[in-house]
Amino acid sequence: MASNFAIRTNGLTKQYGQAVAVNKLDLTIKAGQFYGLLGPNGAGKTTTIHMLTTMTSPTQGDAWIAGQSVLTDPVAIRGTVGLVFQDSALDRMMTVDENLKFAAALYKLPPKQATARIEELLTIFGLENKRHMKLVALSGGQRRAVDIARGVLHRPDVLFLDEPTIGLDLPNRRAIWRFVEQLRKEEGMTVFLTTHYLEEAEACDWVDFIQKGKLQQGGSPNTLIRGLATYILEIDCADTEAVYHKLSADFGQPIWEDNHLSFRVIDNKVDFSQLQKSLGNAVNSLQWRKPNLNDVYLWTVCPPQTGAVV
Amino acid sequence: MSNWLAVKAVVGRELSKVFRQRGRLISSMVRPLIWLLVIGSGVGSMLQGEQQSGYLTFLVPGIVAMTLLFAALLSALTLVYDKEFGVMRMMMIAPIEHYWIVVSKIIAATITAMVQAAMLLVILAIIGLVDVNIALLLLVPALATAICCAAIGGLIAAWSKTLDNFAVIMNFFIFPLFFLSGALYPVSQLPEYLKYIVLINPFSYGVDLMKHAVPAAESDFSIITDITVLSVFSIAAIVVACWRFSRESVHEPLFHRVTGKKG
Repeated sequence: MASNFAIRTNGLTKQYGQAVAVNKLDLTIKAGQFYGLLGPNGAGKTTTIHMLTTMTSPTQGDAWIAGQSVLTDPVAIRGTVGLVFQDSALDRMMTVDENLKFAAALYKLPPKQATARIEELLTIFGLENKRHMKLVALSGGQRRAVDIARGVLHRPDVLFLDEPTIGLDLPNRRAIWRFVEQLRKEEGMTVFLTTHYLEEAEACDWVDFIQKGKLQQGGSPNTLIRGLATYILEIDCADTEAVYHKLSADFGQPIWEDNHLSFRVIDNKVDFSQLQKSLGNAVNSLQWRKPNLNDVYLWTVCPPQTGAVV
Repeated sequence: MSNWLAVKAVVGRELSKVFRQRGRLISSMVRPLIWLLVIGSGVGSMLQGEQQSGYLTFLVPGIVAMTLLFAALLSALTLVYDKEFGVMRMMMIAPIEHYWIVVSKIIAATITAMVQAAMLLVILAIIGLVDVNIALLLLVPALATAICCAAIGGLIAAWSKTLDNFAVIMNFFIFPLFFLSGALYPVSQLPEYLKYIVLINPFSYGVDLMKHAVPAAESDFSIITDITVLSVFSIAAIVVACWRFSRESVHEPLFHRVTGKKG
């Protein structure tokens, strides 16, 4: 298997009893790419990561990381990947320094090299003065930063980030993404991301949506967003059924949430002010905006269903 | 050995935790001293003549072995602790075969048990219950017994997913192992049906090997038998613990070799 791809999977499947967590996944991710796998809870994102990092074995199929198979070279693969788990894998009763030195030794880094690398990463993450503090004394954002530092200590070829910013506030999330961006720039590593915060995935080179273990739509975020619609029309309705019947013929099926309808508008010449006037009292408010990856996610993973709207 | 740094790190982490918890280390001396001084004196007072003073001496190897058993099993508990609190994942994602994690934990449990046994022997030598030369000699069979106890702990921990489960198994195993080992009374004086249980208890051979180091303590088996049983059991238990631990995580080379499975 040629290793110009950082990650490649062929029919990768994971079954737990009768339940299929990941179903015949075929992925190709180029070296250096920033890749996002997006989907709802239980879609198979974490299971995919665990198979790719040899934390669990596939039921069927195979995957290659930098040309090495997860079936035959699990130990070698673990040396070339970094994995930041959804929740911290660090020992909360040990200091930052002890945790990182422990992780470095597990990656067989010679002590001198480990010390220099820890120094470097703590400087990037602004944690130099927290070095001798126990993990339990750090903030959630700082703990997450140490987790990421642990994941990249050995300069992996591929870094897996499994919902790395979950539970963090906005400033901490932004800080984490600055660190990841800096690491990507400086070390050129391939990044495989799963996240619920889809606006974070807009920085990806490529994203795939996954649902019930099956890959859905995929593409570059910009292409997906442009392909979805020119505008998203959001209407807060007084008479939802009237608005639905009037607009669905022109704009297709909306997403219907209580008395709120969201339509995709492909035509960029729609006069929204005129449209609002024509709907009269059936509308409480009408807004239009540019689409984003959240909209792609909603229409791709949770497409509007005719049965649900009438 | 390419995995030496990783093994050293896992062992070092365990030992630093043991020495950090000095209170726990010191309190671990209380249980054996109570057994020796309170239970030993109490039971000894019911005996007649030379038997009375001889009972305390007889108890010494058994109580040192008990210290090894408790220390090694509790140390193996960290395998379950790390699984439950997620720290195990830091080790599982490292580029080492997963059985090295079990081997490292067993090494750490053995060292921890030996440290506690050595501390107890120092105390016993100070209060005059054991001669210094005998105390030093006891360290040799103690090492074989410590490895056996750590292997038992590793075996139990490899099957336990949560600390609750481990606690149940500890209570289910630890007391039968101790009481049916000849640590408190000579095996020859037990009822016939209990003797068979003592015979299949690997810990009995550890206790017996330690009795060989104390001239006044009567042993039940030969030194060769003790060493053979301890060695065979320890190796078998470590291999099974490693297999079990590797099996539940991922297709490991060791698992492939044992089962012939290829993912």
